[in-house]
Amino acid sequence: MVTGIIQDLKKAVAGIEASEVSYEQNGYHAAVVTQKGSLVSVAEFFNGRVFYLADLCCVDYVDYLELVYFFNHHKTLCRIKVTLKVEPEKPTAPTISHIYNIAHWYEREIHEFFGVYFEGHPNLTYLFLHEGIEYYPLRKKPTPVPEDAKKLLNSFNPEGEEDTFFVNLGPQHPSTHGVLRVVVKMDGEYILSAEPVLGYLHRMHEKMAENRSYLQFLPNPARIDYPGALLLNLAHVTTIEKLCGIEVPERAQYIRTITCELNRIASHLLWFGAFPADLGALTPFLYAFDDREQILDILENITGSRLTYCYFRFGGLYNDIDDTFIEMTKKFVKRMRERFKIYDELVTGNVIFVNRAKGTGILEQDQVHKYGCSGPIIRSTGMPFDIRKTEPYAVYDQVDFEIPTGTVGDNMDRYNVRMAEMEMSLRIVEQAIAKLPSGPFKAEKVPKKLKPPKGDIYHAVESSRGETGVYIVSDESDTPYRMRWRVPSYSNLMTFPALARGTLIADAIATLGSYDIVVPEIDR
Amino acid sequence: MAFTSGLMPGVLCRLVSLMGIQRASASRVPACGCGGSDGFAGGGGDASPFDRETAMTETINSIANVIGWETIRTVVGLVGVLVVVVVNALVLTWAERKVSAHMQRRIGPKEVGPFGLLQPIADTVKLLAKELLTPQNVEKPLYYLAPVIVFIPVLVSFVVIPFDARLQVKDINVGLLVILAFSSLSVFSILIAGLGSNNKFSLIGSVRSIAQNIAYEIPLLLSLLSVVFMANSLSLRDIVEAQKGVWYVFSQPIAFLVFFIASVAETNRTPFDLPEAESELVAGFHTEYSGMRFALFFLAEYTNVFIVCAMTTTFFLGGYQGPILPGIVWFFVKTYLLVFVILWFRWTFPRVRFDQLLNFSWKLLIPVSFLNLIVTGGLLKL
Repeated sequence: MVTGIIQDLKKAVAGIEASEVSYEQNGYHAAVVTQKGSLVSVAEFFNGRVFYLADLCCVDYVDYLELVYFFNHHKTLCRIKVTLKVEPEKPTAPTISHIYNIAHWYEREIHEFFGVYFEGHPNLTYLFLHEGIEYYPLRKKPTPVPEDAKKLLNSFNPEGEEDTFFVNLGPQHPSTHGVLRVVVKMDGEYILSAEPVLGYLHRMHEKMAENRSYLQFLPNPARIDYPGALLLNLAHVTTIEKLCGIEVPERAQYIRTITCELNRIASHLLWFGAFPADLGALTPFLYAFDDREQILDILENITGSRLTYCYFRFGGLYNDIDDTFIEMTKKFVKRMRERFKIYDELVTGNVIFVNRAKGTGILEQDQVHKYGCSGPIIRSTGMPFDIRKTEPYAVYDQVDFEIPTGTVGDNMDRYNVRMAEMEMSLRIVEQAIAKLPSGPFKAEKVPKKLKPPKGDIYHAVESSRGETGVYIVSDESDTPYRMRWRVPSYSNLMTFPALARGTLIADAIATLGSYDIVVPEIDR
Repeated sequence: MAFTSGLMPGVLCRLVSLMGIQRASASRVPACGCGGSDGFAGGGGDASPFDRETAMTETINSIANVIGWETIRTVVGLVGVLVVVVVNALVLTWAERKVSAHMQRRIGPKEVGPFGLLQPIADTVKLLAKELLTPQNVEKPLYYLAPVIVFIPVLVSFVVIPFDARLQVKDINVGLLVILAFSSLSVFSILIAGLGSNNKFSLIGSVRSIAQNIAYEIPLLLSLLSVVFMANSLSLRDIVEAQKGVWYVFSQPIAFLVFFIASVAETNRTPFDLPEAESELVAGFHTEYSGMRFALFFLAEYTNVFIVCAMTTTFFLGGYQGPILPGIVWFFVKTYLLVFVILWFRWTFPRVRFDQLLNFSWKLLIPVSFLNLIVTGGLLKL
């Protein structure tokens, strides 16, 4: 696949360099170097082959800035890194936002963090930051922001057309799950347009990573996605293990799988409680929390924390599990299977719930690659895309599980997919516990101060919301030269304006709820 | 209040005998007056026979001859209604919190008083002590008016409800029309609150409320018409009396269902709580209200719940009729059972969407109740 694609790309677009690289070392199959003139044709080429834009980020090499585009295919694994060098003084690059919708946000993000101007971008305003920022935050050398570049999205005109009005859903609104703000233009009960406004929880984790050693950054991922803290902990740890070539003992891999799946169930349970609450049913929330509490107890016993776990270490775990853990987990699996029956009676079979969820918020399968969706959102459209299957990490290749998929991609499908996923997670936990080998839980001789070799790596795991990727550029020092987090909620939320347009506000709220967005993850 | 509480038993006896109902036995009369939280006599003492109160009754008689029995009866009745309204709201806030808690695997209030029974009082004190905030851009007259007038229709509805065979503020021969006319007025205060708040969420909430009320008035009325056909009267007491043999819930099950669903919609309770849909409109029409003003809306909502349940009891569950226990006990048992069902709805169902709400009424409830009406009319004619 990769070789064919590269040959086709070379044929289709002139003036590019393309070469295959080691997937084991770099996490991507091929590297393509483009020029400003050929970038758009490269993007069009990948769009024609139904590749999705997994990530778009920028690295400041002082002499030049490098824009890094990661393309991947939803059905066949084929990660391709496309780079474009731009000059550090008043950098400009062509936009690909007309080809890939998600590039709208990625380009705005790069614009505010690095000062790159994307020519042809329809709305190059700030995404996360406020106008008080004086220097581009992620540039290596202090580069002041010109006054005219400080543009916010706040300039809505409420006195616009007749019969329409603006409503701010958030940042303090019962349905926005945190501090997401959606500016909704409405005509009566119908939504004409919805524009998410981000940045209320922006903490610049990527900059933080550049200022601390790999070990010191360990607690941070848990703050990026708090309901699925272990999964992001794993993303961080496995990426660096891959970068440094650290072998992880098998027992640790199994325990990682078990705890991650438990955490995934906990995260999905939180969503299971919140989604009916968005539809007006408040009781399932308490039931879900009752079960989630069990998982928190189990994880608290071994990790020491209840929400923002920091359990995995480079080369293994913080400590080994004991018999109590196994016993409690087995008990929980049994209990949870019984609880699903209650959930089915309380929510899944409820006529009002089904009527509200069926046929609303439909995401077309042929649109998903434009947004780079992942996780349950994409699986609900019938696309069996799951990193645990395509790029197995931990021991997901040694346990037997299926990828639940939906058919039409509406809210009901997203609900069903997540419910089925929880059951699948129980199955994984059960198998992993049965197969759990004995042995060390920690790799020996992992240096305290990690100094990975020069190079870059992209590694992704399947978090409870989708593809969570880490892109690290290492310069042989003990801190990453650049650490980039590709988060699933970000690209999933990007579909919201399209899905909300023309629907009733009640449906839009339901759709927003079905995404299971985590705002700290979007804002980072 | 001081006047009435001291004289309550005697006055009530006189009142009841004035009501012109001959059928009920005299021994049951005092029982009506001692319902505590349930009856009219908020401060009433023990049930007392006639002779112990003779002197007092005579005093009252002489006063009454001056100002007129009708006036006294109305005043006492209204005070009684107020007591019922307040006590009911207190009971219902506690009940809702307890019921929801147990449905959600929680315990609910338990710190204030036994079983948290005094929690509503603590809440009331808190709400009374709160500063009354008035947002800057509200339409002041409308904003102030809404929480006040939310109560008027509610109070009037109480006047015609027969709590017992002889316990009714006033038996009007078009009682059913009165209750329907006034209960549909409650939407008026919601509209005023929404308009006056100058808030988009409030406005959407109140507009929803109007559409919803118009849609659900019709099935409400249609289902009651079949009851009227069967009872041959618009007086609530006659309707209850007509259910002596068979309650209308058995002879008119469809009308009962339609009426109950429509009344839940009329009270803006889940699954029809669109005017205050929390996840969409924050708090709907009362978004901008706080403190005691908010509490008044709250109070009105619970009173509305009580009224629709009392109406359902009266029209379909035989009102105060039942064996052994006094009528007023039966009335409140039935009413609070229905209240429990409404609470149960709230903590089980999600909210319907706006178009589904209207479709449900126009496409299902109205045709069904029409059919039911025609069938009832036809059968009665045969």
